[in-house]
Amino acid sequence: MAFSAMKERYRNKINEVVLGATKEEGGTRGYTVTVGGESALPFLHFEGEIPNRPIVALEVWDVAPTDWHESFTTYFGDVFDNPAQWAKKCVEEYGADVIAVRLKGADPDVADASPEDCVKVVKDILAAVSCPLIVLGCGKAEKDNQVLPAVAEAAAGENLLIGSAEQENYKSLAAACMVHKHSLIASSPIDINICKQLNILITEMNLPAERIVIDPTTAALGYGLEYGYSIMERARIGALQGDKMLAMPILGNVGHEVWRAKEANISAEDMPGWGEQPSRGFLWEATTATALLQAGMNIVVMRHPAAVALVKQNITELMKPTSFEE
Amino acid sequence: MEKATVLFTPDNLAVDVEPGTSLLQAANLAGIELVSSCGGDGTCGRCLVKVQDGYVKVKDGGNISPRAKKAGLVLACKTFAEGNVVVDIPSRSRLEEHQVLLDEQLLLEKDIDGAEGFSLQPLCQKLAVTLTPPTLEENIADWERLQTAIRSALSCSDVRISMSVLRQLPEALRAGDWQVTVGVTQINGCAEVITIEPGHTTSREVYGVAIDIGTTTVAAQLIDLVNGFTVSKKGSYNKQARFGDDVISRIIHASERPEGLAELHQTIISTINDLLAELLQPGNLAAKDVLMVTVAANTTMTHLFLGLPPKYIRLEPYIPLAAATPPVKAQELGINVNPEAYVVCFPSVASYVGGDIVSGTLVTNVAKDERVTLFIDIGTNGEMVLGNQDWLVSAACSAGPAFEGGGITYGMRAMKGAIDSVDIDPETFEVKVSTIGRCKARGICGSGLIDCLATFRNVGIIDRAGKMQTDIQTPRLRQSDEGWEFILVYGAESESGRDIVITENDIKNLLRAKAAVYAGIRSMLNAVQLEMEMIERVLIAGGFGNYLNIGDAITIGLLPDLPAEKYTFIGNSSLKGARLALISKEAWQEAQELGEKITYLELSAGNDFMEEFMSALFLPHTDMSLFPSITNVK
Repeated sequence: MAFSAMKERYRNKINEVVLGATKEEGGTRGYTVTVGGESALPFLHFEGEIPNRPIVALEVWDVAPTDWHESFTTYFGDVFDNPAQWAKKCVEEYGADVIAVRLKGADPDVADASPEDCVKVVKDILAAVSCPLIVLGCGKAEKDNQVLPAVAEAAAGENLLIGSAEQENYKSLAAACMVHKHSLIASSPIDINICKQLNILITEMNLPAERIVIDPTTAALGYGLEYGYSIMERARIGALQGDKMLAMPILGNVGHEVWRAKEANISAEDMPGWGEQPSRGFLWEATTATALLQAGMNIVVMRHPAAVALVKQNITELMKPTSFEE
Repeated sequence: MEKATVLFTPDNLAVDVEPGTSLLQAANLAGIELVSSCGGDGTCGRCLVKVQDGYVKVKDGGNISPRAKKAGLVLACKTFAEGNVVVDIPSRSRLEEHQVLLDEQLLLEKDIDGAEGFSLQPLCQKLAVTLTPPTLEENIADWERLQTAIRSALSCSDVRISMSVLRQLPEALRAGDWQVTVGVTQINGCAEVITIEPGHTTSREVYGVAIDIGTTTVAAQLIDLVNGFTVSKKGSYNKQARFGDDVISRIIHASERPEGLAELHQTIISTINDLLAELLQPGNLAAKDVLMVTVAANTTMTHLFLGLPPKYIRLEPYIPLAAATPPVKAQELGINVNPEAYVVCFPSVASYVGGDIVSGTLVTNVAKDERVTLFIDIGTNGEMVLGNQDWLVSAACSAGPAFEGGGITYGMRAMKGAIDSVDIDPETFEVKVSTIGRCKARGICGSGLIDCLATFRNVGIIDRAGKMQTDIQTPRLRQSDEGWEFILVYGAESESGRDIVITENDIKNLLRAKAAVYAGIRSMLNAVQLEMEMIERVLIAGGFGNYLNIGDAITIGLLPDLPAEKYTFIGNSSLKGARLALISKEAWQEAQELGEKITYLELSAGNDFMEEFMSALFLPHTDMSLFPSITNVK
């Protein structure tokens, strides 16, 4: 008798969200990237369609980072002062699917860059690379509300993925994305209800659900990874079971979280039992990322090129169709 | 040490106290009831007074707004008289002026008397008895002689008499020439002679009183037990309010202070005695003619009314002292009716589903109907019963007193001057309000708050998360020390001269209250694995306003999205049940059985309620598919 696998049947699938727009579509990108669309839990190809592979974004800052571990100098030291070149290197040498521009310089406590400065950085990067862009603010709502709408307007039609909208602050970003044809990241603090509520609030402003990506908050390995994992998994199961207000692709700021962890940064001299920092650091990032891929993450925002290589290899293997089906 | 004199204005009442006495205590001694929701802990910030003259010590740490401080106000509970002082009490800090709106003034309330199916068989009646005089041959004792006659008149084998009535018996029998009129109470299959008068009195007047003791309000009806008619109704505040707004603070007061339980017991007895005095006044009836009292109250109030320690109700696993309590004589409790009259309390189901709910279940006939009924009583707590003639489950959710005005800046109970409906122009944001009694607005009551929340949402003043939309153009939206607020009534048109506002914090409190009620309903349905649509009728009880706008209540997600025709608003069902039991032995018997029949679901066991609660903290709900009639309108 032939083996027949038990299959879970789901009522719903994850929305497909397109990043970027080509010339025909009103932008200037060489190609677009689509995420989401799966109708089964991560990589369970036998149960449903997994039409798009998860993608990796590399972070590029508008100012040279001062708090990144010195080991990053090896990879980016020559381009830290030139965001356009930095982005180009990420795509051409390190295999980034898309670039995540973090406008850290806009932070009043960092460089207090003006909206015009930020617009210029984004424009420069758009000119230097042909891949789609994610644009992240500095994280301070008041300033982001000035900077991000300006970027959205200047890059109208490019279909950037802009972030992040939060429950206390979503209106101006959602409005900017709607008017200038971009997609939006909706962030929630490890809370499935707020995640859903924010999606409802944003879609009620008439931004289509297919232009929203959720960031339910993640943490690094050893720092509460399991909490982020549970919420992502719950969102996925909820979405597949029919909850349209959870059916958005998931983005995770993995690099940002991992490189705040002591385990990624401390030297072997300080912690002789932990092994050499260079490999420990990127493995910490790769481990965190691959764990979260299993929870359903679609866009991994990372920092370390070696970790990116490992994660992409992992994705490639996981995207091979499962073999026991006839 | 010399006493300090505290003079309260504008009452001009003075009281001598030990130095170091708080102004709140001093006010109580002077007979002035201040609003003190927290029971004098300094956390509710409502007992605001102004020290006009004299030396006081003000303790730090009370919850007082910078605005009140600036106006020279202090918290009476945190301010202590050190010498002679003159204290001014603003009207909004007073409890006594408030009067409870009784259900006769309710507009859209469906009148249920629940008397269908029950014949008039009051718990107490007067019997005219004629006895054969004793002789040398037929020499049975007086009492046994009377007992035999009553047995055959009532077809009841268990007939008793109290010592004090027994003492009056021989003279009464002989004075009436072996004709007497006896007052007989029949409870739980046992009859007791409680009054005896010589001869066959002509009037045979006998009255009963039905009382609903709520945490916040107390309502009572005087019933003519000969014909079952209501003679008068009265309501008032539960004076226990000065020991805290909710049952928890009352239990703490009763458990942690040496005189606490006695104080609370005396306070509710005095509240009831004041009501009785008012009830009897219209017909100049004598207290001695009231021969029966039925009381429906939540479990904690029943404990405090009977003077039973309620301590373990509050502590896990939340066990009341007794679910069904024995009948007790009025003289034992100090209630000013006939001292021999019996007082009976409705049995409770559990610590947080009390006799008031059993009473409501009785009068709404939930247990006799084949339709699946959801009965919700929205008071200081939200209690609900679900079921039909075959099964009944109940649950309680801690909704808090928001719908009774508690925890809301300008919240108040449904009485004169309370805003009960709000209309806002979606373009100009101009506001029209209507108040109970059509007078100047003093505050806003439960039905007004529900209306407000729905209207705010509909015109876009708040988003679905309850956040005020600060980009709308109206001078009514402003920022205060404590965040954003919306002015409903400008000071020029309000009674106090102050602007009546709804703050963002008020909205959060309302959201929590409505989420708790809805989560309770969902958890209960989950427990019995029933779908919302399978509920065939919904009965809403509660004294939160003149009327309940079901549409608004659904818009904000307080009540399930069911067709309007399934809903009935029934007002104070607890009082109605107490009245029914008074006039029907059968109904009282059924209430006893209901107490045992209703299964109690403890919502705090497991995570289900908490999860439901979290997802209900949204307008109407995080799962919009539960509210199809609202979400389809874009």
